[in-house]
Amino acid sequence: MVKSWLGQAAAIGILTTEFPRRPADPEELPAAARAPGAGPVALASLPPEVRAACPTGAISLTEIDQGKCVRCARCLPAGLVPAPDASANLGSRAGLRWPDGRPPGGTGPAPLAELGPSLHVFLVDVGSCQGCNLEVMGLANPYYDLHRLGMFFTNSPRHADVLVVVGVPTAAMVEPLRRTFEAMPAPKAVLAVGACAIDGGIFAEAPGRAAAVGEIVPVDLYVAGCPPAPVAILEGILALGRRRSRGPAP
Amino acid sequence: MIGGAGLLLLLAIAALFGGAPLALVDRRLGYAATFLGSVLLVIAALAALDAGPFTALSWTGVVGEPEALHLDALSGFFALAAGLVWGATSSYSLAYDTGPGRSLAVAYALTLGAIAVLFSTSDWLLFLAAWETMTLAAYWMILEAVGRPLRIFSAAFVFLAFGEASTILVALAIAGLYDGTGSFAMTSPIAGPMVSVVFVAALVGFGLKMGVAPFHMSEWLPIAHSSAPSNASAVLSSTLTLAGVYGLFRVVALLPDGPSWWGALLLTIGAISALLGALFAAVSEHAKGLPAYSTIENNGLILVALGISLIARSDGLPALAAFALFAAFFQALAHAVTKAALFLFAGDVERSVHTLDLSRTRGGTKAADPVASGAGVLAALSLAAAPPLAGFVSEWMILEALFQSFRFPQAWLQFTGLLAGAVVALAAGLVLVAMVKFVGFAALYRPVRPPNAERPRGLRAPIAGLTVLVAALGVLSPWILTALAPTVSAFEGARTAAPVGSLLAIPSGWSILSGSPSGFFGIISPPALLLAFAIGSLPALAYFALGRRGAERRVPAWSGGRAAPPPSETYTSFGYSTGLRLMLSGFLGTREVRRASSPGVSAEIATPLSYDVDLEVLDVFKSFYDALVRLVLWAAEGTKRAIMPGRIGRYLTYILLTVLVVIVYVAAAFPGP
Amino acid sequence: MSRPGWTEVAAGRPPGSGARSLAYVSPEGDLALWNDHEEHRTLLVRRPELSAEERAVLGNWRAGRSGPAVVSVGEQVHGYGVFTFPYGPVAMGVAEAGGFEVRTYGERILEIEPSVGHKRRGIEEQVVGKTVEDAALWIERRAGPFALSHAAAFRFAAESAAGRPVAERELGVRALGQELQRIYNHLHVLARLAEAASQNVGAAQLNALAESALRALGATFGHRWGFGALVPGAPGRRLDAPDRTDLEARLRRLGSEFEALGETLLGSRTFLDRIQSTGTVSTEDALRWGAVGPTLRASSVAWDDRLRDPTIPYREMFVPVVTERAGDALARVLVRREEVRGSLLLIEQLLDRWPRLGGGEAAPVEAIEPGRGIARGEGPSGDLVYDVRVSEGRIRSVASRTPSQANWPLVALSLRGAVFTDFAFSFESFGASFAETDG
Ligand code: SF4
Ligand code: SF4
Repeated sequence: MVKSWLGQAAAIGILTTEFPRRPADPEELPAAARAPGAGPVALASLPPEVRAACPTGAISLTEIDQGKCVRCARCLPAGLVPAPDASANLGSRAGLRWPDGRPPGGTGPAPLAELGPSLHVFLVDVGSCQGCNLEVMGLANPYYDLHRLGMFFTNSPRHADVLVVVGVPTAAMVEPLRRTFEAMPAPKAVLAVGACAIDGGIFAEAPGRAAAVGEIVPVDLYVAGCPPAPVAILEGILALGRRRSRGPAP
Repeated sequence: MIGGAGLLLLLAIAALFGGAPLALVDRRLGYAATFLGSVLLVIAALAALDAGPFTALSWTGVVGEPEALHLDALSGFFALAAGLVWGATSSYSLAYDTGPGRSLAVAYALTLGAIAVLFSTSDWLLFLAAWETMTLAAYWMILEAVGRPLRIFSAAFVFLAFGEASTILVALAIAGLYDGTGSFAMTSPIAGPMVSVVFVAALVGFGLKMGVAPFHMSEWLPIAHSSAPSNASAVLSSTLTLAGVYGLFRVVALLPDGPSWWGALLLTIGAISALLGALFAAVSEHAKGLPAYSTIENNGLILVALGISLIARSDGLPALAAFALFAAFFQALAHAVTKAALFLFAGDVERSVHTLDLSRTRGGTKAADPVASGAGVLAALSLAAAPPLAGFVSEWMILEALFQSFRFPQAWLQFTGLLAGAVVALAAGLVLVAMVKFVGFAALYRPVRPPNAERPRGLRAPIAGLTVLVAALGVLSPWILTALAPTVSAFEGARTAAPVGSLLAIPSGWSILSGSPSGFFGIISPPALLLAFAIGSLPALAYFALGRRGAERRVPAWSGGRAAPPPSETYTSFGYSTGLRLMLSGFLGTREVRRASSPGVSAEIATPLSYDVDLEVLDVFKSFYDALVRLVLWAAEGTKRAIMPGRIGRYLTYILLTVLVVIVYVAAAFPGP
Repeated sequence: MSRPGWTEVAAGRPPGSGARSLAYVSPEGDLALWNDHEEHRTLLVRRPELSAEERAVLGNWRAGRSGPAVVSVGEQVHGYGVFTFPYGPVAMGVAEAGGFEVRTYGERILEIEPSVGHKRRGIEEQVVGKTVEDAALWIERRAGPFALSHAAAFRFAAESAAGRPVAERELGVRALGQELQRIYNHLHVLARLAEAASQNVGAAQLNALAESALRALGATFGHRWGFGALVPGAPGRRLDAPDRTDLEARLRRLGSEFEALGETLLGSRTFLDRIQSTGTVSTEDALRWGAVGPTLRASSVAWDDRLRDPTIPYREMFVPVVTERAGDALARVLVRREEVRGSLLLIEQLLDRWPRLGGGEAAPVEAIEPGRGIARGEGPSGDLVYDVRVSEGRIRSVASRTPSQANWPLVALSLRGAVFTDFAFSFESFGASFAETDG
């Protein structure tokens, strides 16, 4: 017997997360457990092999660059501990550099009421592995349901308030990205999602990489991860509805 | 004694015809004369509408009947419409016709003069002579196509063939009238057994000139396939077809109340023409072919309105009959003026971008002359029945008339009327597609070329003038319709018991009402619509006037992140209507033809590496005529073989036989003293 | 079968497996690979410069860095009113940096050519000189949804080149990860199709199921896309007995919801109308152009690389190979639906025998001797091939043929003559990825 859509929906029940009213649970942030933070050892006293083994050079003597880190977890056995939670993966480019592996203090960019809380989001891929794309698009599924927060994906940059950029910009995508940003009406904000879009991530040295996203369009906020968990991306979009910064992030 | 108006009429005709010899001296002189003639004709026609019929000149004709040049309210109306159009086309021609020859101007003046005589004669024989002159002069005009490409001869020949068929049928109708009345006067009503023959002969004969289905080849072939000069196209499409309408109305005015199948036949032919015209307009790729097809649609609408009127008249619904007539006349006027504007605009596009292929006209005159471009848009909007323009009012009136067919007593007539209503509404939708396509690709498209420096000056004013007229006709339609009351009376003649002015169907004041004395059906008020538009756009105007535009930033059109695409990567007008081609493939006989343009390198790859594709549509009537032509040729070939075998003996026998027959005939006819 | 001038090389997989000779290398070092099927002997990968008749029987091979994949069927169409309709590279309908050039006279697609290369990051160039373990980080980030198939095939090839055996437990991990990812991909494709057909409730539920598959991956490997999951002794991998029970519970729930959902979706006339007879690929075309995966199987060719797999525990398990005859989008949907069931069944068998899988964890690959290994694997969209050369523990070259590359000509062919509105239904049903194509 074929059940109706409604019957099935009733049988499945409510899947939607309580986030952002409650903090995200580990089920929603599996890879965050791989983001390294300050451990029992100081960064300067980490054995040099650990730094050398980091594929993206995210660990220096003084800081961990969450923006570069691709969560490969190679450094965790060496004494670093998993970083706190989703909101820590969010920030300006500078805010993602954690001195001594600890989240920097302060509250991030000052809130300015230019974008309202109901946002229309346009996704542009400039050379991703599809991981970030699919996580962003997954926000529409019943688990995250960004529509309940008054936010929508649009099919045209002409209707968009927020540009979500994923992937490492290849030469072929630099101009399309710029044109997409140009096509958006003001006020607008840019969210760079994923290590690739922040600083190239694993592809920072790739022959096909042409530029950093921040060099092409002014980025308002970065979401770290490879890929970031959907709740982290959601948090990023929500943050843009609450605050705004005009120029490129510092 | 010739009155003032009569003198004007004579002068008008003289000036129009005089354009021909003057053009031999100088092209521009010829057009100036026709312009003058048109203006005089308009004044004379207004006098006929306002002060009643007058006679300019009368004499005794060859068959001993009195003949006259005169105008009454009916012919005055048609002369008015034609005069308005010619005024614009003549002044347009001054700039448009840059030679090299002078024959176009001569043919043009002859055509205009012939049509003017046709409108003002009081006698069927002179009418026939004018009709034939008009056909031949128009044939000559078509032959004057730019560069005179080879195909023009066959296209013009088709025009001539259909034209002569039309003349024969018109002559037949006139013979029928003469048979019934014993007179060639245009005022003698006819009764008796011949009326249906006269009706059908007139419908087919004049329908041929109107280009209605199934004779629409006569209309589109010369224009669409051969780029007749644009001033000629405008005259052909607006006023040559108007001559057909006039002839039909003249004959029908003399007929008694006929059987209801007359009206039903008109309805059917009209609705089919409207649909076919609209459909082929929507899939036409030619900046002049598209308006030409639209002419078929519009003339179809005139037939529909006349049909409703005839049915209503014989069913004792004088109010509906009168209303439908108003609709028919207004449609004729609106179409003549609008279509002329559109053809003149198409000519301008041709001069500006050197093509009439809608897929390549891109932007048309927009860069060179935004005013002309805007005028073209407005004319097309009127044909697409956008309120409050003239086309909207006539379309509304015709649909109102159609949807009142429930008042007919017979069920089958109600059904025919409603079906025709649905078909006409469908046609209206298709015309919208056609006009959006025309406007989009010939006027509004982002220009891909710089403005053409060689575009002649002086094209703008006539187009804009006609378009202002189109708008004025629409907005002022209640008053204009009131002024048409004498024309309707002249057509209805003694039949209308009540004076038309007192019927509910007559527009009054600011609005147009439809209905019957027993009940009101519909109402529109174009002036009020205009007012509403104006008020509605006030906030936006105020917003811009106050300069509160915010920061303005111009960015290229969004194209998936690519740079603005080259013209080869933009939508073609063909693509715009392919949806229709595929959806209505049953009607259009759409089929895709593929030809390999470079053969595959290997036999193992069955498909060629490069091919040409053509999505063709088929006009069933065209195939019918093609088959007919083949049949005639085949029969002629057979006959030729049978009786002209090329043997001298046989021919001598023929001569002998002929001489014998003549002798016998003479002997019998003229018996000796 | 031998080919003059071509050298037979030992095919991929760890040595000692007795694998059939599937790979050939030309004197110039180009690679050829045959699908050794009962009825059809199809060359799937080849040199870049194909002669015309070779293209007729060959698929699609991009040898290392030297040439582009054959993505179009290479026909030109002209005619009155015909124009190019460019789509992408920024378009939500594709949702990737890629697009299409459509030749059309409006409404109907006459020819369509995928425009690839927008995402070319140059992964295979970049990994040269890296260790195998480092290189794996790049390889798996070629295409997130197919990360585990790429990681597994790459590792097999490198291990084969280094002549190193792989522990049974490690093979189990690879199989488990790949099957989970297959489930996710199939669900994702079905969801995209349901979305295209405006079956919004069904699409939402399928998307939710896809998310549960991702969560199952995340819970099992500590990463929702399986990045780093195949690293020997990877941290975050949770496959102890209670975790396996948890995984089983998740998959049971997924399976039962999917059953009900599949019934309702395939009972929806609107949905069927859109995908039936849409995007048809004939068996002949599928073989001629070298289709792989569900595309090939939906055109009635029973080829599944897992059957040929000499190593992974597949050979000891029941691998259902699903075929359909029609070759249309519906057939591909049916194949994918059956394969979700099949993968659930495979995982069940795998978890059953998990305690008996021996070998513990393996050490990283560290080849000293120069060697070359070729390995294949059945990814969610079809079989993929990796050709890896190593020496002194470093990668010397990597070349690959991915299912997305192989299937593009079929995407293009299936859309020929279709109306625009059929585009999504045909395109999405192939599960082709620009990221996987470009590398
Ligand atoms: S990329 Fe991140 S997780 Fe990996 S080693 Fe570097 S800092 Fe650690
Ligand atoms: S950041 Fe990671 S997941 Fe996102 S696109 Fe880049 S490689 Fe893929």
